[in-house]
Amino acid sequence: MREAVLRLSGVTFSYDRHPVLEGIDLEVAAGEFLGLIGPNGSGKSTLVQLSLGRLSPDAGSVYLFGEPVEKFRKWHRIGYVSQKSNSFNLGFPATVYEVVASGLTGKLGLFRRIGKKERALIRDTLERLGLSDIAGANIGRLSGGQQQRTFIARALVSRPELLILDEPTVGVDAESVNQFYRLLDRLHREEDLTILLITHDIDEITAAVDRIALLNRRIRFCGTPQEFAARRGEVLWVEDGRDVSHASRVPGEEIRV
Amino acid sequence: MSLTVPGKGAVRQSANGMWEMILNYDFMRRAVLAGLIVGLISPLVGIFLVVRRLSLIADALAHVTLSGVAAGLLLQKHVPLFQQVSPLHVGMVFSIGGAMFVEQLRRLYRTYQELAIPVVLSGGIGLGVVLISAADGFNVDVAGYLFGSILAVGEDELWWMIAAAGLVLAVIYLFYKELFALSFDEESAVISGIPHRWINLLFSFAVALVIAASIRVVGILLVSALMTLPVASALQISGSFRRTILYSLLFSESAVLCGLAAAYYLDWSSGGTIVLVSVLILVSILAAKRIRRLLILKSRQSDV
Repeated sequence: MREAVLRLSGVTFSYDRHPVLEGIDLEVAAGEFLGLIGPNGSGKSTLVQLSLGRLSPDAGSVYLFGEPVEKFRKWHRIGYVSQKSNSFNLGFPATVYEVVASGLTGKLGLFRRIGKKERALIRDTLERLGLSDIAGANIGRLSGGQQQRTFIARALVSRPELLILDEPTVGVDAESVNQFYRLLDRLHREEDLTILLITHDIDEITAAVDRIALLNRRIRFCGTPQEFAARRGEVLWVEDGRDVSHASRVPGEEIRV
Repeated sequence: MSLTVPGKGAVRQSANGMWEMILNYDFMRRAVLAGLIVGLISPLVGIFLVVRRLSLIADALAHVTLSGVAAGLLLQKHVPLFQQVSPLHVGMVFSIGGAMFVEQLRRLYRTYQELAIPVVLSGGIGLGVVLISAADGFNVDVAGYLFGSILAVGEDELWWMIAAAGLVLAVIYLFYKELFALSFDEESAVISGIPHRWINLLFSFAVALVIAASIRVVGILLVSALMTLPVASALQISGSFRRTILYSLLFSESAVLCGLAAAYYLDWSSGGTIVLVSVLILVSILAAKRIRRLLILKSRQSDV
């Protein structure tokens, strides 16, 4: 087994005594593509915030690249695409190039400016994501799919080893969603990028991911897509006795564990 | 009741014209220089406020500065030690304090970030009014601080403004990429390891400096105009951040120069005229865009 890029062990977290996560043990190995699914309010986003050190667990620990998250400082090793990226200020006067370049800010550090090497990195990232032709376009004028690729490019430009995506397909049309998963699949295969994807789209991700983890306060299932498919009825069997394994893809409604 | 607005009547029109006045009189030269300095630093700071949807913060801090100026005048009157201290500098200290308070409020009310503005604005005005009434009248014309008095800018003041502008330019130049990243997407910027607290604090400091420097030129009531109007105009015609900065600088410097010239020839208040020219630029751009759209529409129709 390769080194664990992200490891949560025995993580428990509650908001105002309301338990959100209980005894979470989860590992993302180097080079792995892990899909984390779960209904609304299952603690997915909280888990991301804990993984990024934005929240501290009540119990248990989080490790990034083998280091406790409290001490971790090499944030440029992680690319992050937030849920909010889809609802940014549409009137912001920035081009695709400027947005992607801003992804290098943390890695460069204070007082260092974008030089020749960085410009080559930006051009290369734009090329890889098929954004070269619209590099000079205003970000607000792009389609949802193009905006999303711009945000991925911003996260990837610093050449991170781990890419964390928090529900990146919310509010994006179906065609773009499919393209988006093909893109993630390609990045994962060709560039050996470790990916943690938090999503609602169970069916779309099974083809691309190595493992699926189902979260609802606890990790209810963790295994390969094949195992998930085989045990799907059982896994999605509800605790309160309702089977919703065949439920629709309405965000947040598809699974109740 | 008649309110004397500084600037009006301060300069008699002469047949020599404005340029000769500038060549011959120090106070005119200082006025133009002060105007150009403020025209340079206001939109540079303003653009980050506008894109972060915090344009009104400048207004709030300007009112806090007013209370600081009042405190400075009061101290001047009663404490001998403060007789050498310009009330504007006390105002600036208040403004920095206000900026730090705004940051604190923004963190406490993450989902209601704009709430910081009325809190600080009304607090500033409240304190200012109380201090002014406590002083029982000042020798200095408070109206000069409210509406600006660019022709009264002294030698010392000009040097101080140049120093303040230097600091503001340094902050924007050195932390441009951090400020851009934080303005575009604060969450991702913070996660990427940018020292956001420091940068935000430094930026608040720059805003306070710009306000203190602008008060002489346009006055407390109009300080935010030079920070936001040129940016609002630039946003209409630019798709990139760098261009937006460039255009807003162009618009604000033209507004300063045209405003000063118009104020001189028409004998109007200079601060007010500069702001009116800024509004005129914005309205002209909006109108031009509309006319262009109509023309395009018309040519399409005639093609059919």
